[in-house]
Amino acid sequence: MSIISKIINWSRRKSPWVLHFNTGACNACDIEIIAALTPRYDLERFGVVLKATPRHADILLCSGPVTKQIQSRLLRIYEQMSEPKFVVAVGTCACSGGVFNGCYNVCGGIDSVLPVSAYIPGCPASPKAIIDGVVKLLQSLEEKPKSNKNREATDE
Amino acid sequence: MSEEKIKQELEDKFVYLKDAVTIQRKGRIFVQVPLSKFEEVFVYAVKQMHFLALSAITGSDRVEYFEVIYHLNQEGKILLNLCVSLNKEDPQVKSVIAYCPSADIYERELMDLLGIKVSGLAQGHRYPLTDDWPKGEYPLRKDWKAHTHHEEAQNA
Amino acid sequence: MHESGDVKIPIGPQHPALKEPESFLISLRGEKITASSVRLGYNHRGIEKACEERTYTQGLYLIERICGICSHSHSTCFVQAIEEIAGILVPGRAKYLRTLIAELERIHSHLLWLGVAGHEIGFDTLLMYTWRDREVVMDLLATLTGNRVNYGINTIGGVRRDISLKQKEDVLKGIDILEERTKYYIELAKNETTLLKRLQGVGVLSHEDAKKLDAVGPTGRASGIARDVRKDDPYASYAELDFKVISVNNCDVYGRTLVRLGELMESFSLVRQVIRKIPDGPILVKAPRKIPAGQAVSRYEAPRGEDLHYVRANGTEKPDRVKVRAPTLANIQSVSKMLEDRYLADMPIVIAAIDPCFSCTDRLISIRDTHKNEKNTVVWETIRLKGIAWYKDRGVDFTALNKKLTKLF
Repeated sequence: MSIISKIINWSRRKSPWVLHFNTGACNACDIEIIAALTPRYDLERFGVVLKATPRHADILLCSGPVTKQIQSRLLRIYEQMSEPKFVVAVGTCACSGGVFNGCYNVCGGIDSVLPVSAYIPGCPASPKAIIDGVVKLLQSLEEKPKSNKNREATDE
Repeated sequence: MSEEKIKQELEDKFVYLKDAVTIQRKGRIFVQVPLSKFEEVFVYAVKQMHFLALSAITGSDRVEYFEVIYHLNQEGKILLNLCVSLNKEDPQVKSVIAYCPSADIYERELMDLLGIKVSGLAQGHRYPLTDDWPKGEYPLRKDWKAHTHHEEAQNA
Repeated sequence: MHESGDVKIPIGPQHPALKEPESFLISLRGEKITASSVRLGYNHRGIEKACEERTYTQGLYLIERICGICSHSHSTCFVQAIEEIAGILVPGRAKYLRTLIAELERIHSHLLWLGVAGHEIGFDTLLMYTWRDREVVMDLLATLTGNRVNYGINTIGGVRRDISLKQKEDVLKGIDILEERTKYYIELAKNETTLLKRLQGVGVLSHEDAKKLDAVGPTGRASGIARDVRKDDPYASYAELDFKVISVNNCDVYGRTLVRLGELMESFSLVRQVIRKIPDGPILVKAPRKIPAGQAVSRYEAPRGEDLHYVRANGTEKPDRVKVRAPTLANIQSVSKMLEDRYLADMPIVIAAIDPCFSCTDRLISIRDTHKNEKNTVVWETIRLKGIAWYKDRGVDFTALNKKLTKLF
């Protein structure tokens, strides 16, 4: 791994920028994600910052079961993110479809559409579980060798 | 106005409603209204009896016929549920939007999920299904099975 | 009416601030909104249909997950309908416990709303502090029910958990803390000119319009429609409790803020009454698996307004029909009226002020691509930031207030 890659990887680990996307969830996981960012849990001390657009995000935090209709929108958001990028499925619905599995219009978990790097189960996933999942993902970045894909220059 | 008085007034005003008004319990009145007389009864309930708020419209497939229930309330206290039956082959009902502007979204739901034709609605978005939902598929009909559609969605 | 010549801006379905997908189409002339329409359906999951294929108990689990913020509302409303059809008399203690969780849910929901509203107008410290305060009630809910969200406390015939003496004490202590904090937020709302400038005269819904469009909950009560299902059609143990229906005539976002703050204070009082008056006895009666044929309409005052469930049973273990009309569906129809002839900068707070819970509203997921004809797709965050900047240019700036609140706490 080149020096540049190591630095980028380190900064990615130390300060991941996160995009939150609700694919039709009941909101429970979403409010727990926001709760994770508020003072009591304070995900920001890990350098996690909530971003507004896919182009600025490293991690896509997805909640909710996926349907055929939201599939295309979800894919588009994923495509707009620059490499390296990671998808985290937050909540049981995002992991497998949860209670909505089998409902018409529901395909299943996020992994029916995107490659998922981390699964955080729970109904909803508690802020502690979310922090645990994100930290585990960051740790795994340290261990995995990085791909040689060129990362797009950030455009902020 | 008490439930008994409401029942009496409806039965006095509309001869055909004799034996069609049931006081289920305090605050709940159910009325079976013949389709041809529906507008007459509805307008009277809204304008003369001041059941000004339309809380919801429930459509259901009763196998041999469709039933539409208009849940009207007066000052939030007593719920007057007007029930009409529609034939299966060609279920049609006139929009009540002229009397209750909030009916819009509830009537669109009848169209989307049950395939009941509601005449008199302005151009607008459908609700709650998407624009590319296949024609003739009405999820809330009893003969519509979710898994068939789900399989088709998977294979698409 | 959307006219040609106006610039059309589609917003959504992904917008970080609201956390739920929906779509608004706005027509702009300069900085004023001339027309708006809402497209719903993104969260439609097919729950009503799914209920027909599940037993009542399985359905209960599903219904609770219509919305994570007001899960107890949906769960209780549903279970009440079933109990009415089957003629099940729920024990008094169970009703009081349902009321306790209901009011704790209202408290968490209104504090959540305060934070979100603060975020929408640039008053981020309010978000941090209200959500930190909210953790007090989240902890109480977790100790009482086993989960922070989606409590699972209801079952057909009563509730699944009882309350201990220690838990009662903890609840009272928690309420004392929250009441102090809320009093401060009320002072803030009454006296801080920056807040007043941002919230007054914004998102106006006249009393007449609110009546015509059947606005419910705090949205309706801020326009003088003093309706509250807890008073009009009492359920659980509300008939035995003493509380005021909070209603004002401001008809704007400020009014909606005042109503929710007032309701927080009433909720604290209700919780204390419940703890004091809860009768002894069982928390559950046995319920049949097969519910006899019949129908019922159940109503509940969720934090957002009137929630209505219609259930029809046919003598089997599965319901014949379950219909849910959540409060946001009733209120969303007023949004277009509220946005009429207003500035784009006000859009985030106007929509946030009805406390939209789109997952309550559409329970079947569907999404549509942003307008194919439109080249402008604006992310919600952009509108939110534009709104904050627009007001800053006009002297409404929350920087000082953010600092003040930080120093105080």
